[in-house]
Amino acid sequence: MNKPMTAAALAIALGTAMTIAATPVAAQTADKEKCYGVALKGKNDCKAGAGTSCAGTSKIDHQGNAWSMVPKGSCEQTASKTSPTGKGQLAEFKEKKA
Amino acid sequence: MSSQSAFAEALLAEEVVCPPGLATWNGSAPGKRFAVYRNNVIVSLIDALADSFPVTQELVGEQFFRALARQFVRAAPPRSPVLALYGDGFAEFIEAFPAATGVPYLADVARMELLRVQAWHAADADALTPDEIARLLGDPAALPDARLILHPSVRLLRSPYAVVSLWAAHQSESAALALAAVDPAQAETALVLRNVLDVEISAIAEGPATFILNLQQGVAFGQAAGQALAADAGFDLAASLGLLIRGGVLAGVEFPGSTHS
Repeated sequence: MNKPMTAAALAIALGTAMTIAATPVAAQTADKEKCYGVALKGKNDCKAGAGTSCAGTSKIDHQGNAWSMVPKGSCEQTASKTSPTGKGQLAEFKEKKA
Repeated sequence: MSSQSAFAEALLAEEVVCPPGLATWNGSAPGKRFAVYRNNVIVSLIDALADSFPVTQELVGEQFFRALARQFVRAAPPRSPVLALYGDGFAEFIEAFPAATGVPYLADVARMELLRVQAWHAADADALTPDEIARLLGDPAALPDARLILHPSVRLLRSPYAVVSLWAAHQSESAALALAAVDPAQAETALVLRNVLDVEISAIAEGPATFILNLQQGVAFGQAAGQALAADAGFDLAASLGLLIRGGVLAGVEFPGSTHS
């Protein structure tokens, strides 16, 4: 059997871990963002295995409630012909008539 | 043999043999109608595998994958009506599939994709809140014997191949480019977990892997950390706990004799 860690070492690590976990996730994972209204018909993302997939289910180009993962910051630069702002959006929106 | 099992067997048989006793409502040939039904059964199961194992498919191409999946469907039809979880044993089947020996990492990529599907469908559990964690720090003496409970979605895969990097390369737009940077023969351990509604996959070192496996086996916090340090001198407990807390998978704490979560 290996030597267990002491209570003090565990407490310090747990305290540090809380600080680590509290720092914004942005730096670690979020180089991507969900972008609504930019996917072409049937090309939206989202996949979780057989029977649950909503990927590739969008019915029209630039559907307002379908999203794609795009590099962070690029979403609101991407043209969307259905979006009221003319660009992709970070939340779903109701399409304007093209 | 009952007519039902004869029917089921005929669906998966190598040759189309119309089970006896079938009749059609409009007098068309039962054999032809049965062949259509049989084809739909097998193709829909192959489609289900393609949905659950997208990277496995990309690695070998659609044609190879569907031929492989067809044989698996015949050999191991679903045992449960829950199609979403179909694919148990697919990795083992790939391992034994002679034509796939040229892609030695294929089975482990499939194994990891199955874990991903399982993590997605695993039960929910609330993560400990920062307040609850802070309260634990109020009684450090109780920590070594505490049992940390992980979220039911947490899964590990130790592979002699770079499963996580291979998988990650296929998530990018330019998979070919990203793949060129991956050395498949680099061993990796995959940590699969569901953070609220997103399944996250990351490669972790031997220390955190040992730590998480011990916790999953119910080993006490102090002992689990000690095992991890013994397995990997560079083990950073704070970073590992940070990974679990940030992933939302530190789901509870139990103390011997009493429970608390």
